[in-house]
Amino acid sequence: MARPVDLLVIGAGPGGYVAAIRAAQLGLKTVLVDKDGRLGGECLNYGCIPSKALIFTANLVHKLRHAGEMGIEYSGLRVNMEKLQKWRASVIERLNRGIEQLCQANGVEVLFGEASFLDPRRIRVVDHDKAVLEEFDAAKVIVATGSRPNDLPAFRFDGRRILSSKEALELAVAPAHLLVIGGGVTGLELGTYFAKLGTQLTVVEFLAQILPGVDPEAARIVARSLKKLGADVHVGSQATTWKEAEGRIVVAAETPDGPREFVVDTVLVTIGRRPSTDGLNLANAGVGTDEKGFIRVDREMRTNVRHIFAVGDVVGQPFLAHKASKEGIVAAEVAAGRAAAADWRALPSAIFTDPEVATVGLDEAAAAQKGFEVRVGKVPFAAMGRALAAGETEGFVKVVMDAKTARLLGVQIVGPDASDLISEMAVAIEMGASVEDIALTIHPHPTLPEAIMEAAEAALGRAIHVVNR
Amino acid sequence: MPKEFKLPDIGEGVHEGEITKWLVKEGDPIKEEQLFVEVMTDKVTVQLPSPYTGTVLRILAKEGELVRVGSPIIVVGEEGDTLPASPAPPSRQEPAAPQEPTAPEAPRTAPTPPPTGEVLATPAVRRLARELSVDLAAVRGTGPRGRITEDDVHSVGRRSAAMPASQEVVPVPPAPTGRPEERIPIHGIRRRIAEKMHKSTTTAAHFTYVEEVDMTHLVHLRDKLKGRAEKKGVRLTYLPFIVRAVVAALKDHPTLNATLDDERQELVVKRYYHIGIATATDAGLIVPVIHDADRRDLNGLAAEIERLADAARTNRLTPQDISGGTFTITSLGALGGILATPIINWPEVAIVGIHRIEKRPVVHGEQVVVRDMMYLTCSFDHRAIDGHIGAAFVESLKEFLEHPALLFVEA
Repeated sequence: MARPVDLLVIGAGPGGYVAAIRAAQLGLKTVLVDKDGRLGGECLNYGCIPSKALIFTANLVHKLRHAGEMGIEYSGLRVNMEKLQKWRASVIERLNRGIEQLCQANGVEVLFGEASFLDPRRIRVVDHDKAVLEEFDAAKVIVATGSRPNDLPAFRFDGRRILSSKEALELAVAPAHLLVIGGGVTGLELGTYFAKLGTQLTVVEFLAQILPGVDPEAARIVARSLKKLGADVHVGSQATTWKEAEGRIVVAAETPDGPREFVVDTVLVTIGRRPSTDGLNLANAGVGTDEKGFIRVDREMRTNVRHIFAVGDVVGQPFLAHKASKEGIVAAEVAAGRAAAADWRALPSAIFTDPEVATVGLDEAAAAQKGFEVRVGKVPFAAMGRALAAGETEGFVKVVMDAKTARLLGVQIVGPDASDLISEMAVAIEMGASVEDIALTIHPHPTLPEAIMEAAEAALGRAIHVVNR
Repeated sequence: MPKEFKLPDIGEGVHEGEITKWLVKEGDPIKEEQLFVEVMTDKVTVQLPSPYTGTVLRILAKEGELVRVGSPIIVVGEEGDTLPASPAPPSRQEPAAPQEPTAPEAPRTAPTPPPTGEVLATPAVRRLARELSVDLAAVRGTGPRGRITEDDVHSVGRRSAAMPASQEVVPVPPAPTGRPEERIPIHGIRRRIAEKMHKSTTTAAHFTYVEEVDMTHLVHLRDKLKGRAEKKGVRLTYLPFIVRAVVAALKDHPTLNATLDDERQELVVKRYYHIGIATATDAGLIVPVIHDADRRDLNGLAAEIERLADAARTNRLTPQDISGGTFTITSLGALGGILATPIINWPEVAIVGIHRIEKRPVVHGEQVVVRDMMYLTCSFDHRAIDGHIGAAFVESLKEFLEHPALLFVEA
């Protein structure tokens, strides 16, 4: 007999577990199903969280190695990779447990197994051996099954030579020479991490710019810093084949300078992600997807089948955990009969390269394309006392303004702690702030966010600490 | 490059206009200076000339739609440009969510028309609007730069709840009755009339005072002057005399040449005389204004009245022509009738209604004589004008009309 539930959430990543908790808070009898055997999904277990645990550690190492100018002298700095990996695992475990406790405290029932639709309401959950664990008759369903990395026909993941980001994060030995195919967010974050641990890094990016889609000026700063780390970056290039030779890997690539061969030890493929919907049997529920397999949803996160919702990576780009969580809350609230909608205006994003890049709203080019009369205010961190004192002067804050109304359209920050600086600007955009509002708000001295206030002043043509253009 | 044309500023205090009629359609060729759209503001209907020569690529507002000044209404391309395959978003649609720069494979979107009027409201206000089923695009924000506040949403929410068919909510389509009937949309000038009349009758404390005037002398005088005026190309009706008499009477009773500022609770007495003449047009009643009526001679008044009447009939009134009135005259007798009670042209405080002049038996001394008689019905806003003031004004007006020579000695 199928067990009736108010809501079944499939996938316990940042979209699914957040949706389940909110739904339970609103009084829905909620079951959360995940096939992975632990909560938190890709983000917590194989993505954002472990990569940050490693990246921040590598940043510390890198900073110490370059602190001679500040008078830091030491000998025998060594990274114990095994211990580092244990530490990564411990961070994940603590967060796993935290989510478990939150589910329990809110009355969310957790079931580990693989869910599939029998029809639009009935869902069967099976274990690894395909034995049926339970069948549900769900009044509402939220699909939050996420995405997984793409590979290439010529570079299939093998867990040994050709790695996905998940496997790269678990490497207990930094490769001597790593080649990254795809110079986007994931590829550069991980590539930078390894480079700071002493790996020789080569990046092959198909498009003409690393971090495609990011403000070109910001991408340029990251490219410069990669070069300082000794990385070899090839844009407009395509890795075509590989072979093993004398225990190493020879990767052939087409570059603007002609064909090249790179002899490396490991290849990391980070060329985007595709929806994880295998095994769900969406067709049994009649849920429609686009040509790439992403589930189509409306502003209430409903699919074409009214009682079935979808949130997070499985509904398409951008693949951001915080987007998934907000969508999960919207879906849960709508499922509980509340008036909610995905109506945000600011979807910030943070990239943990060196320096970090964080953006929200429109960049210059996008604003111009939308027909705004664009004015920009830009302030380099090198002009800010705090950045100098901390020895991190790379980068800038750029404020994009509608010249007609002085409305804040977007902000691009590249530089120290950019990921932490961007949230203020997300609030500003959601509140419909004008650039004047930001310029008039006192920012404490000496701090990095002063650069935001200064960039706002610059957009208005009256900056104090840089020469106005 | 296709060019957009935005609804221009068409007069003082005009923030929006209603598109009443498109004179071109998508795909039509269009020439510079060609009139291409009819727009009605809360004051006047105007036809706008095209600033460009080319082809109409897109029309961005529907007939009947209210468009804010500065919003694009039409896209004109080069001659020979063809229509784009996909329709443009309607003018008040929210721009698409900002593209996320980190998305590695995100394609750049094709150029779209400039975003227009994305509503300015905080996330909490947007949620409140959803909960109250209030469409933010239809809410006028009272905060800085038009920001919509919680109070704005609450007040629309209350009104919608009380009056389900109000402008802010989409009314449920009426069920067909099965009987022969036609539903005529109330828009354009009709809507403005409806709003203004409702405002006046629910705001002003109307009272109406009726008087009878012996027009015999004025009829003789007008008969004498008519021929002379005609030689100068001027059609002399009774109206210029009445305007002149009204101005003279207003000078005796200045508090009637005024508007009431409800917000500040002040009577704004005008030291200039802009006299509105209520005029029937096919679209409905409008009130062109004779500016500085006190500074015009009789023929000058007649010529101006004729110009305004022509312009009203042919939709060529300028915003200037229908703004700034201080007092209104309305003719009520064209078809007959004895008396009508005029509605004040709010926020003015008084209106004079004139009726037909007809021969009636009148007692003069001990005799019954035939005289040219006319009724005057004057409505006043009793909040500002007490009965005896209104009566004194009408008696003064009566004196000027019965002894028109006074109109020419006192000036």
